[in-house]
Order: sequence, then C-alpha cells, then structure tokens
Amino acid sequence: MTATTAAPLPLQSPLESPASPPRNSSHKPVNLTRVFRWIYLTLLGIFFAVPMLAMARFAFQSVPVALLTPDKLFTGWSIEPLMNALTDTQALNAARISVTLAILSILINLVLLIPLAIVTEIKAPKLRPVLTAVTLLPWVVPPIALVVGVSATFRASAPWFLASIYSLVPFYALWALPFTYRALDAGLQAINAKTLYEAARSMGASFTTTVFKVLLPNMRASIVAAATLTAALVLGEFAFASLLLKETLPTYLVNFQRSDARGGLALAIFILILTALVIGISVRLMRKRGLNISSTGL
Amino acid sequence: MTRVVMSQIRKTFGESIALEDFSIIFEPGDLVCLLGPSGCGKTTALRILAGFENADSGSVTVNGEDITRVPVSKRHFGMVFQDYSLFPNMTSRENIDFGLKAQKRSSAQRTEIIDRMLFITALEDQADKFPHQMSGGQKQRVALARAIATEPNLLLLDEPLSALDAKVRESLRDEIRRLQKEIGVTTVFVTHDQDEALAIADQVGVMSRGRLEQIASPRDLYEHPVNPFVASFIGSINRFVAIAGDQGMWGVLNRWVMSDRPSVLGDTAVLGIRPEELAVDVAGDGNARITDISFLGPVTRVSVEFADHATSQNPEVIADLMSAECARLSVGDKVQVRVRDDVTSAIMMSKPESEAFTESESIVHVN
Repeated sequence: MTATTAAPLPLQSPLESPASPPRNSSHKPVNLTRVFRWIYLTLLGIFFAVPMLAMARFAFQSVPVALLTPDKLFTGWSIEPLMNALTDTQALNAARISVTLAILSILINLVLLIPLAIVTEIKAPKLRPVLTAVTLLPWVVPPIALVVGVSATFRASAPWFLASIYSLVPFYALWALPFTYRALDAGLQAINAKTLYEAARSMGASFTTTVFKVLLPNMRASIVAAATLTAALVLGEFAFASLLLKETLPTYLVNFQRSDARGGLALAIFILILTALVIGISVRLMRKRGLNISSTGL
Repeated sequence: MTRVVMSQIRKTFGESIALEDFSIIFEPGDLVCLLGPSGCGKTTALRILAGFENADSGSVTVNGEDITRVPVSKRHFGMVFQDYSLFPNMTSRENIDFGLKAQKRSSAQRTEIIDRMLFITALEDQADKFPHQMSGGQKQRVALARAIATEPNLLLLDEPLSALDAKVRESLRDEIRRLQKEIGVTTVFVTHDQDEALAIADQVGVMSRGRLEQIASPRDLYEHPVNPFVASFIGSINRFVAIAGDQGMWGVLNRWVMSDRPSVLGDTAVLGIRPEELAVDVAGDGNARITDISFLGPVTRVSVEFADHATSQNPEVIADLMSAECARLSVGDKVQVRVRDDVTSAIMMSKPESEAFTESESIVHVN
C-alpha cells in the first residue's frame, strides 16, 4: 500500500511545477497507478470470491450445473443442507470437542508462556532469540513424526493416554507455541515492558503487584491475539486428529462430506463466516479500548 | 534532605568496563547532572543508584546508611525514564496514585497528594486522560508528578527530555528545575546534552569512559576544566601552539596569558582558546582567511583557516562574534585573528614539550 500511494507524488510534481501550464494529461500517471491498483484488487477478490461463491451455490442451490440456465439462476435455493448438518448430533459433538480442545490448549499455552515471556523480557532479554527459535521447533518436526514418536512411547508406557481425546491437547499446545510466544513477545515489546516494570518497582511495588496491575492489563491485546491464533489453529487442525483417530470438527467434516457433500460444504461455509465474524468482533473490541492491534502479531 | 554518596563503584558487563573507581557525592537539595558522551557510564551509574544494577564493588550510602544491597522497591527513590513509562492502562490520576498505593497511604491522603501534584504540574485538565490521549511533554510531566508524589529521598531523571521536541524540552527543563527547588529534593539528572546540563544543574559531573572526570558548577566547569577532555567536551575550543615566556606566561597569537602549569622559557605547549575569546579584524596582510560564516542570532560563528598551519592545531578555527560586529565580514576575506584583550588565562590542552620529553612513555605530539 505504501509503495503505491507514494508513487504518484514524484510522477506528478514535475508536471505540476509552476513553469508548465496545467494540462489534462497531467493526472494520467496517477490514474494509471490507481487503475492498476483496482485491477489488482479485483483480480485478487475474484481469486478468493469465485471458489466461495461456487461452494455456496453448490451447497445451497439444488440445481445441477449442467441444468443451470439464466432463468433458473434464482430457483432451488434453500438452507436445508446446512440445517441438516447442524442438527446432526455428531456434528455438535465434534464441535464441542474441538472447542474444549481449543480452550484447554489456549490455557496451557498462556499459563506456560506468559510468565516465561515476562521473565525473559525483564531479566534475560538476551534469551529472546533463543526462545523464538525453540518455540519454532514443533514446526520443524512434521506432525507424522511427532505423532509416531509420541504414540510409540505412550503405547508402551501409558496406553490410556492415547485413548483419551485429551491426548491431543499437548500436541496442540506445542503446535501453537510459536504463535503464542510471538504474540506475547510482540505485546511486551510494544508496551515497553522493561521500563514499565522498572517504573513500578521504583515506586515501591512488589513483583506480584507489578505483574498483575501493570504488565498483564497492558498485555490484553497480545493475550487475545495469542488466544485467537491458537483457537484458529486448533479448530482447523486435521493431521494430528486424523493420525490419532480422533473425531474433532475438521475430521468429522471430512467424513461428513463423504456421505453428504452439500451438507459438508454448507457447514464449511458456515464455519468460515463464523470465524471471520469472531475475529472481526474481537479486533473491533480491542480497537475500541485503544489497544494496539498491529503490535500483537495478529 | 538527603545526602547520597557513591564510592569507588566498579561495574563491568562481560569484558567491557562500564564504571571504574567511580565516586561522587550528591549534596542535599542539589540538582546534579551527569553529563558525558554515550557509553561513558552515566546511565549505568544512575541504574546502580536506583538499584536496577548491582555494582561489582563499591558502595552507595544514603545519609550514611549503606544501601548497596537494598532492592529497588525499598530504596524510596523516584525515577523518570527517557522513554515514556506511564502505565498505559491507567489515567494520569491513577498513575500518580500507583506509588501512593504501594506506600499504603490512606485514601484521603492519596486524594490530597494527587490533587496537589496535578496542581503544581498544571495538569488538572489532564487528570482523567490516558497516556495515549496526551502529548509527549504532558506525559513526561505526569511521570514527573508520579515520581515526586511519593516524596522520594532522591529523584533520578534518566534523559527525561530527549524524546521531546526543542520547544517543549526547554520549557519542561525549566519546570523540572523550578519544581526541584520548590520541594528541595536531591536530584540526579543524566543527560548527553550539555546545554541542558549547564542550564539547570547546581553541579555538573562530566564523565568519560567509566570515570568521573570533573564535578563542578557549570561556570567553573567552563572556565576551569581540569583536563583537555572536559575543556573540549563543554563548549567548543580552539587549539593553538603556545610558546612559553618568562614569569610563567604563555604566548598565544598576540597575547601573553597565564595557564595552570608553570612554563620554562622557550617551551611549547597547546593551549585552548574559546571561540568567544577571539577577535577577528579585516586586514589585507592578516594571518587567516574566512572560510565560513554562520549566523546564529545574537552571535555569529566565523570559521577561519590560518595561513600558517603551525599556529593552529585545528585545520579550522572558530570565533564567536557579536552579530552586530560581523556585518563587514564575508567569506574569503583576509583577516587578522587575535585573542581578545580581556583574556588573561587559557586552558592547557597538552603537556608542555619539556614534560613530554621527560615522560617518554606518554609523548604528546606538539608540532
């Protein structure tokens, strides 16, 4: 954006200098940039919108493509496939499991990483790059290796662990580490945590008071960002759940789509819109409270 | 009122020495500026004083009581930081209240103190605003109010003005001085801006490479620097080769001046002459040529180049003249540069040649 908005200025100035009379063509370079920008955005929009619209048409209109003529464009629309999918108890069950997993993963991550990020920032800022690298490790190891390794270990020592649906939580917590840590770290950097900490301490506040009254309240934006990212990740994660044979929302969706293609797509669109709404609302809420979104890694 | 003494502080960070044999006394009620180029250890000294860093050796005492190992939160000092340190989630009022709450004061007392602080810093209309709703200058005023609200033993200011623009910087600087005098708190002000230090300090401590070079009143520092570093760091100075006459006088350009060192007849040394101690007269057969003239308001700074490079140690000599006297000067003019008649002494910028020869280890090159 900055590059395209900045471009017209140098192009425009020589033509608008007092020496040369105003001409109609003087705005041409500006228009070109603007036209290019619109073409670019339109193409990008089409790229994203067409598959969605196609998906929506397939899910909600019961007219096969082969029979779709202009006069039939507005016939046969119904939200019944979605209703069918939503009233399926199995779907609700899978959704409930996914939400529970997301909440647990978020809690574990925040409980582990908030103190770690704070202490690193204040007492050992030199360790920040090390932590960034360490938290990235789970992404270097592919899910299949992670699952095989862990399941081999646990199958021998604690088979009950793998049987439980909650065996996914440690994987997800690990998987979301880089996002959570980055969001928290960016938040601490943005509020100048070290200076705030020192200011509070110099006024006689204890460590606990400083953390709970000063640091945590100012980290709200990054905590929300970390939680949102983790939730998005867990709600859409397929590989771990599939490999461990658990029925979460994504694995259910894949199965459901096999038996009811239209219902599956209807559900997918529904989840997409819901997610967009949740993110939109949380960003709005953060903005309203004067929290800086750009500094949260979101 | 508090007397604070730092004695023989040493602090290293890995290989680099931040402070070495650093001793300084902050007299009760004084505003002391620690001044020096970046990396000279002034901020480290302040952070050791505040308790954010531990000294490797040495001690800090407050009214005779050793506080070297007392944690930050128990020192009862107030501090203002360079980068805005107001708590973003609290209004001005709540920010000032924070330290008072930590001191467990009654709510009536707190309200009274906050109102008084807001009044003396003229921030009443900003009381319920959050930091992001205020300008930089206002934020630093709240930070100042917050620091003095707890009635600290010592007020520490770590470059509090360097993030502000020139106009605000100057007015806040004067406000800090006024408030400091009013409440009489012993204050340490760290800065790299000499104008700031000279303008408000009772005492200025000039630091370089982890050491305190000199501590003195601004005037003493300017007129009687103890060494070449202080002389050239505070204000500008021109270096001239001087020749010793009899009776301990040194000859610089046209004048005989005193110096802090005795001279041996015929000896040479480098002496420092301040720009405002020089006079410049147009003369066809003069000893120098004007290379630049910059108008600075009441004063005009004239740069000249000497025909004989042996006279001046700098490639360029600068002279500050009253602007009214400069109308007749222009770049390229041949001029006669001389030391003004009212100058009676000069600062020694190098060892006299005779001493340099006797101390062969540290030869100071003098032409």
